[in-house]
Amino acid sequence: MTTLALELALAILILVVFLAGLFSRADDRRFVGVVAIVGMAGLFALSFLVVPGESVLGGSFVLDGLAIFAKQLFILATLIGLLGSHALRTTTFKRRAGEYYLLILTSLLGMMALASARELILLFVAFELMSIPLYVLAGFTKREGESVEASLKFFLVGSVSSAIMAYGLSFLYGLAGSTHLAEISKLLREPSPLFIFAMLAVFVGFGFKIAAFPFHMWVPDTYEAGPTPFVAWLSVAPKAAGFVALFRVYLEGVGEGAAFWIPMASGLAAITIIAGNLMALPQTNVKRLLAYSGIAHIGYMLVGFAAVSTYGIAWVLFYLVAYVFANMGAFLVVEAVAQHEGSVSLSAFRGLAQRSPLLALAMLLFLLSLGGIPFVIGFWAKLYVFWAAAQVGLYWLVLIGAVLTVVALFYYLAIARQMYISQPEHITRIEVPFSLALAIMISAVAVVALGLWPRPLVEATLRVAATFF
Amino acid sequence: MNGVPVLSLITASPFVGALLIMFTARNSPRAVRWIAAITTGIPLVLSCVVYAAYDLEHGGFQFYEKLPVAPALGINYEVAVDGMSLILVLLTAIIIFCGVFASWTVTVRNQEFYALLLTLVTGVFGVFVSLDLFIFFLFYELAVLPMYLLIGIWGSSGEIRPRGIFAWAIRETGVGTKEYAAMKLTLYLLLGSAFILVGILALYFAAGQNSFSLLDLDGGDFSQGLQRWVFLAFYVGFGTLAGVWPLHTWSPDGHASAPTAVSMLDAGVLMKLGAYGFVRFGMGLLPDATHELAWLVGTIACINIVYGALSAMAQHDLKYVVAYSSVSHMGIVLLGAATLTETGINGSVFQMFAHGIMTGLFFALVGLVYEKAHTREIGKMGGFGRAMPGIAVAFTLGGLSSLGLPSTSGFIAEFLTFLGAWRSDHSWWLFPAVAGTFLTAVYVLRVVKQIFWGPAAHGHDADLVDAKGPEWVALIVLGFVLVLFGMLPSLAIAPIDSATVTLLGKLGISP
Repeated sequence: MTTLALELALAILILVVFLAGLFSRADDRRFVGVVAIVGMAGLFALSFLVVPGESVLGGSFVLDGLAIFAKQLFILATLIGLLGSHALRTTTFKRRAGEYYLLILTSLLGMMALASARELILLFVAFELMSIPLYVLAGFTKREGESVEASLKFFLVGSVSSAIMAYGLSFLYGLAGSTHLAEISKLLREPSPLFIFAMLAVFVGFGFKIAAFPFHMWVPDTYEAGPTPFVAWLSVAPKAAGFVALFRVYLEGVGEGAAFWIPMASGLAAITIIAGNLMALPQTNVKRLLAYSGIAHIGYMLVGFAAVSTYGIAWVLFYLVAYVFANMGAFLVVEAVAQHEGSVSLSAFRGLAQRSPLLALAMLLFLLSLGGIPFVIGFWAKLYVFWAAAQVGLYWLVLIGAVLTVVALFYYLAIARQMYISQPEHITRIEVPFSLALAIMISAVAVVALGLWPRPLVEATLRVAATFF
Repeated sequence: MNGVPVLSLITASPFVGALLIMFTARNSPRAVRWIAAITTGIPLVLSCVVYAAYDLEHGGFQFYEKLPVAPALGINYEVAVDGMSLILVLLTAIIIFCGVFASWTVTVRNQEFYALLLTLVTGVFGVFVSLDLFIFFLFYELAVLPMYLLIGIWGSSGEIRPRGIFAWAIRETGVGTKEYAAMKLTLYLLLGSAFILVGILALYFAAGQNSFSLLDLDGGDFSQGLQRWVFLAFYVGFGTLAGVWPLHTWSPDGHASAPTAVSMLDAGVLMKLGAYGFVRFGMGLLPDATHELAWLVGTIACINIVYGALSAMAQHDLKYVVAYSSVSHMGIVLLGAATLTETGINGSVFQMFAHGIMTGLFFALVGLVYEKAHTREIGKMGGFGRAMPGIAVAFTLGGLSSLGLPSTSGFIAEFLTFLGAWRSDHSWWLFPAVAGTFLTAVYVLRVVKQIFWGPAAHGHDADLVDAKGPEWVALIVLGFVLVLFGMLPSLAIAPIDSATVTLLGKLGISP
C-alpha cells in the first residue's frame, strides 16, 4: 500500500477539491485554490517520506528512485503553478475556479501514475489521464474564439499522436507477447524491422507530448490562448512526465543495446534545437517567444537523452529541474506584467527595471538561466547535457547546441533590453498579488541557489540514474 | 609572499567593491567613486608587488593557490601567474584604475555602472590568473556579460547616415546605435565562448585524467586529428575576442558605442584576453596543430593589420578610427605569436601590453574630447590644441606610439614582431606588417593634425577646456607607462621571455 501512498493521497485531495467546488454557491470560488495549495504543500512534504518500495499490480507499477524524484518534481511544479494561478482575477476564473483546480490535480494524478508505469496499458492510460484535462484547461476561457481554437488544435494533435502511439504499442505487444516493459526491452538485443517501426511510432507519440520538432505545432497557439499560470505549468510538468516515460520505454533495463537509439535521438535533438531557436527569433509576443524557446529546451534535453548513459539521464533530470524553475518563473513574471499592462507583447516590459526593480531582476535571472549563463542553474543544466554528449563523442551535437545557445540569447536579451535599457512610458510600480509574488520568489531563489551550489541536486540526480542501466 | 593569497585578493577586490557599492553607497555618487577607486587601487598596488616579487630565475608559475571546487569533476580553483600573465594582470590593473578616473563624470545610474564595471574587471583578472580551464571559462563569461548592459545603458550612439546599397539594412538593424552594438558584441563573444567550451570539453575527455587543470592537460598526448579541430575551435573562439578578421566586426561597433571606461577595458584588456587564451591554451596545449596551422594564423593576422588600418583611414568618427586601429594592432599580436620564434612571441606579448596601455589612453582621451566638444565627428573638430594642450600632448604621444615611434613602447613591440616575422618560415609576412605601420602613420597623423593642431573649427569655443582634476590621473599614468616601457623595455621583456622560452619548449623549438 505504501507504494501507492502518494497517488492515494492525491486522489483524496482531488475529492476534497471536487466537493469544495461543488458545495460552494458563491460567485467567487477561489478559496478552492487555497485548499488545493495547502494540500499540495502537504503532498510535497509527504513525498520526502516515501522510500523506494516493491512494485505492485503485478510489476506494472513501480516506485523506484526515478519515480520518486519525478513525482517530487511534478508536485513542486504544480505547487508553483497553483500559487501562480491563485492570483488570477478574471470573473470567469472566479466562478469556475473549482473546475480549474480539479482538472490540474487530475492531470497531475496521470503524471504520477506515468512516472511509475512499467507496463504498456498503464502507461497509455496514465498518458491519457494526464492529457485529457489539459485539453479542457487549454479551452478554459470557452467564450473566446482563440481559446477554443487552441484547445481544439491541441486536442486533435494530441489524440492523433495518442493513436499513433497506441498503434506502435500494439506491435510491441504482438512481438513480445507481453505488455511488460521488462519483456519488451529484451527485444532490443536482436531488433527486428517491425520492432524498430513500432518503437519509432511510439517515439512519434512521445514527440507530440514533449513537443519536439516537427511535432510542436500545437504549442505556440495553446500557450498564447491559455491562462498564463496554467501555461507556465503546462510548459514544464507534462514535458517532464514525457521524458520520464521516454526513459522507461527506451532505456530502462536495455543495457548496451541502448546505443541503438543514438542516431535517432541526436538527430531529433539537433533539429529541435535549431528549429525552436530560429522560430523564437521573430516573436514579439512574449508568451509565443517562450513557447518556441521551450521547444528548443526540449531539444537540449534530448541531447542528454541521446547520450543514452547514466550521466545522460541524470543530467536530463537536472535540466528538467532547472527548466521547471526558470521557465515557470519567466511565465509567472509575464503574468504579473500582463495583469498590470493588459498585454503580453515585448513592449509591455519597457523600463520594467525602473518600475519594479525586483520583478525585473527576477525576470533577468530566469532569462539568464534559460540562456545558460554561469552562476544560475541553467548554465549547469546546459553544461551537463553537453558533457554527457561529449562523453559519448557527439561533439557535433554539442557544437550545434552551443552555437544555438547564442541565438537563444538574442531573443532572451531582447526582453532584457526592454526591461533595462528602454525608458518606461510612465513610472508606476507593478503590484503583484501575494501568491504570485511568492511563486516568483521561490523560483528565483531556486535558480540562484542551485546555480551557485548545484552539488546536492547533482548528487540526487546521479543517485536516481545510477540504478537505471 | 608567504601564504598570502595575493592573486585571489587581486581578483576578488573589485568584486567586493561592486558589492559594497550596491549595498552601501545608495544615492551617494561620491562614495561610489571612492569605493571604486580604492578597490581598483588595491589590485594595482598588489600587482606591482607581484611583479616585483616574481622570481625570474626560476620562471614558471608562481604565487600558486589551489582550492577544490568540485573534486568529483576535477574542477579546482587553481590560480598562478607566469611571466606572460603577470604582465597582463599588471596591464589590467593599470587600465581599470585609470578607467575609474576616466569615468568620474558618469552620473546616470552611477551605482549600477560602477558595480557592473567592477564585476567585469574581476572576470578579467580571473581569466588571466586561472590555471583551471573550467574556472577560466566561468571568469571569461563574467568578463563578457556585464558588457551588454554597460554598453546598452551608458553607451553612446554614433551619428551615422546610411548610404549605399545596404542603406535600408543599416536603418532596419540600427547599425551604429548602442543597442545594436551591445547586442552584437555580446552575441559574437558568446558565440566565441561556445567554441571554446567545446574545445575545453574535448581536451578534458581526451586527456582522461578527470582534471581541467592546465598543469595536468599540459603534455597530454592528443592525437593529431583532435589537436587540429580543437586548435581551430580555440582559434575561432579566442580569435573572435581578439578581433581576428573576419570575426572582428563586433569590436569597432562595440568600442565606439561603449562608455569611456568600458571602451578602455574592452579594447585595452578584453581583446588581449582572447590573444592570451589563444597563446596559452591554443598554442601551449596543442603543439602539433600549432606547427601545422601557424601559416593560417599568421596570414590572417597580416590581413588584420592591413585591413584594420585601411578601415581606420576610411572612418569619419573619431572613436571608430581608434577602434579599427585596435583591429590592426591585434593583427600584430597574432602575427608575433604565429612566427613561432622567441623574438616574435616576445613582441606579441609586449604588443598586448603596449597596445593595451596605448588604446586605453586613446579611449580616455576620446572620451574627454567628446564630453567637451559633444561630437565624435573628425570633420567638425579642429584646432583643439590651443584650448586643451594637455589632452593634445597626450593624444599625440599615444598616436606616435601607435605608429611605432622609437622610445615609445609601440616601437619595441612592433620591432620585435617584425624581426620575428623575418626570421620565421614565412618571411614575406614582414611586408604587409610594415605596410600596416605605414598606413597607421597616415591615419594617426591625419587625425592628430585635424583635431589638435589644424585650424580652429567653429562653434565649440565656450566648452573647450583642458582636462582637470581626476581626469589627469588616467592621462598621466598611462602616458608615463607608455614611455617608461618604451625606454626600458627589459622591464617587461624579462618576465615575458621566461614564459616564451617555456612555451617554445612545449612546441619543440630551441630558442
